[in-house]
Amino acid sequence: MNWNRKQGLTGYLFILPNMIGVILFFIIPALFSLGMMFTNYKYTSPDIKFTGLDNLTRLFKDPIFYQSLENTAIFLAAVPISIALAFFVALALNQNVYLKSMLRTMYFLPYITSGVAVSFVWMLLFQPSQGIINNVLRSIGIANPPGWLSTTDTSMFAIDIIWIWFLLGYNMIIYLAALQEVPQEMLEAARIDGASRWRTVVSVIFPLVSPSTFLLLITGLISSMKTFGMIQAVTQGGPGNSTTILSMYVYQNAFRYYEMGYASAISWVLFAIIFIITMIQWVGQKKWVHY
Amino acid sequence: MTRKRKWGTAILSVTLAASLAACGSNSNSPANEPASNNAGSGGDSKPVTLTMWGGVPGEAGPQAVVDAWNTENPGVQVKYERFVNDDAGNLKLDTALTTNQNIDLYVTYNLPVLVKRVEAGNALDLNSYGDYNIDEKMGEDAKAWKVKDSYYGMPTKKNVSFVWLNKNALDEAGLPVPPLDWNMADLQKYAKALTKEKRYGYVMDMSAYNSIFDGTNAGSGYTKADGSSNLDDPNVKKAYETLYNMQHTDKSMLALGEQLTSKLPTDAAFLKGEAAMLGAGEFVFRSANNLKDFPHDFQIAFAMIPKVSADQSNFKYPGGLGDIISINPKSENKDKAWEFLKWYADGGMKPLAAGGRIPASKDADVGAALDTLLGGNKAGYDVKSLEEVVLGKFPTFTVTLPQQVVDARREEYEKFFTKSQSIDDTMKNTAQRHNDFVKNSK
Repeated sequence: MNWNRKQGLTGYLFILPNMIGVILFFIIPALFSLGMMFTNYKYTSPDIKFTGLDNLTRLFKDPIFYQSLENTAIFLAAVPISIALAFFVALALNQNVYLKSMLRTMYFLPYITSGVAVSFVWMLLFQPSQGIINNVLRSIGIANPPGWLSTTDTSMFAIDIIWIWFLLGYNMIIYLAALQEVPQEMLEAARIDGASRWRTVVSVIFPLVSPSTFLLLITGLISSMKTFGMIQAVTQGGPGNSTTILSMYVYQNAFRYYEMGYASAISWVLFAIIFIITMIQWVGQKKWVHY
Repeated sequence: MTRKRKWGTAILSVTLAASLAACGSNSNSPANEPASNNAGSGGDSKPVTLTMWGGVPGEAGPQAVVDAWNTENPGVQVKYERFVNDDAGNLKLDTALTTNQNIDLYVTYNLPVLVKRVEAGNALDLNSYGDYNIDEKMGEDAKAWKVKDSYYGMPTKKNVSFVWLNKNALDEAGLPVPPLDWNMADLQKYAKALTKEKRYGYVMDMSAYNSIFDGTNAGSGYTKADGSSNLDDPNVKKAYETLYNMQHTDKSMLALGEQLTSKLPTDAAFLKGEAAMLGAGEFVFRSANNLKDFPHDFQIAFAMIPKVSADQSNFKYPGGLGDIISINPKSENKDKAWEFLKWYADGGMKPLAAGGRIPASKDADVGAALDTLLGGNKAGYDVKSLEEVVLGKFPTFTVTLPQQVVDARREEYEKFFTKSQSIDDTMKNTAQRHNDFVKNSK
């Protein structure tokens, strides 16, 4: 065995433990669910029949599927909003402000706390009749504050607010790191050229941190699309099915109704959507991401 | 990217570990000490160990049940494991059953789940034992639990749903304990009269919402003569409307939207005096008898779940039997498990009465169970209405609707009660989704 082959083999040996895990717990189950998608497999039922595209045709006629698709879209809006907010918070915290490190910690805290526990705090805040938010709204003269999580019209937006807040800290930390890398001489040059503060942000800083924006957008969208725990804890998809996003609909079908075949079909459609969105971003990034 | 993923994984695993720990925390309740009185028996027979899975926390009765059995039967030791009776918990039990994790007996709480387990071949046909006539012992109501015309599980307890009344509040308002055949108009009147600042007239547990609608459909049928959905029965519509008016017009009842978001523990609200009437069931006894955590000084009386309209003759009352115990066909000790099961049903389950579980078997001592049920707190209850309502005989039903349809109905009426769908659309959509489900599952 020559030196190169040996080196190569060592490399494979190093990644082997990880690969075994990925193959056993990710690739095999994924292929298994791809196969299940074309069957009527129910978790406890012994007879499995091949049903072809039945699950998919049923899916495209399922109103709840479209409703959850819409909910997912509203939910994903939280990602760009949170990124934009994080950008400005990071800009502010990157300067010499009082209590800088304390503020940084405060913003990052949501990210390292248990999502479920925090969700319950939000439920208390959003409580329509006695919650803090509505009490404040009432005290400033809004007679009929929104019902937040308790009505089907507002529940998805309330969920968005929680999610924006939850993502904020992580997005901010990434931006803070990126802002450190912005070369001082460029900012100085801009200032000498007479650029206003706002112009500097738009034309110098934002393009320079665009790789981070891109990273946050892709990872944020993917992780949001797979979010489950937070919504399950807060509304379990209700009221009605106003907060059922696709990942929850998958869970409901698989583990409440044991309809594994149908659930697999939904999750592969979810995968296709994530894949397409990521591809679009990948192509689009050439226009606005500067490395 | 890797960092993000790492964080994600770390958080996920922490949450997972936490939730698993929460699920498991009750299952490891004190291990049974091996019975001490087996010194006399010959050393040749090793004691058999049976494992039973149930949804009631061990300390709420089941542990006392198996302890009593274990002392009497040194040769057959029973170990109780608790699973949480929700989607995740039932999934855990089904997985354990299919992968053969040495479960001998387990409890099922609703019919669609039992049917799934029978289809999966995870429940033994109890009719194969000839020495115990379930029909005769448990009475007419047991029939609802037959699957494929046979018993694959033994119903062991009486299910009772009823309205809990704060008798002091009734007396204050000059209202008598309502008659057994009261209806929703009466309920509305009562609730209005009992509402005052910081007290709702009526609060309903989520499970009781379904009872009223199911009571109507159990009488008039879930499907019409032509096979289409009957979930839009006019009486169901009327029930929806009355509850809506109570929530939004009279404001005498906690609105559903608010109840959902605050995840209000209804039993605590009633016992704290924040609600004068509570639509719930026997499971509230567990809290009501616990004067330490739920101190209250009012007397509790009972009323039936109201029927929808006064002239409704076919309304059925939620009830029937519950706690269906099955034997795993793969168990190595089926016969021993059967012996235990018979003993359990005929009175062994008595310690469970403290949590409201009254034995269904005619051979069980219901009087003794009732004493356990009332704990040391007999004066806290209006015994006359208790006997009439909790122990009364009424036309009852067991829910037979598939879970998907129950959920679809709930989703639609949640939209109605949170004011985002009209009553007519609600009835139409509910029936439509029921019909679609029937069509899809063919």
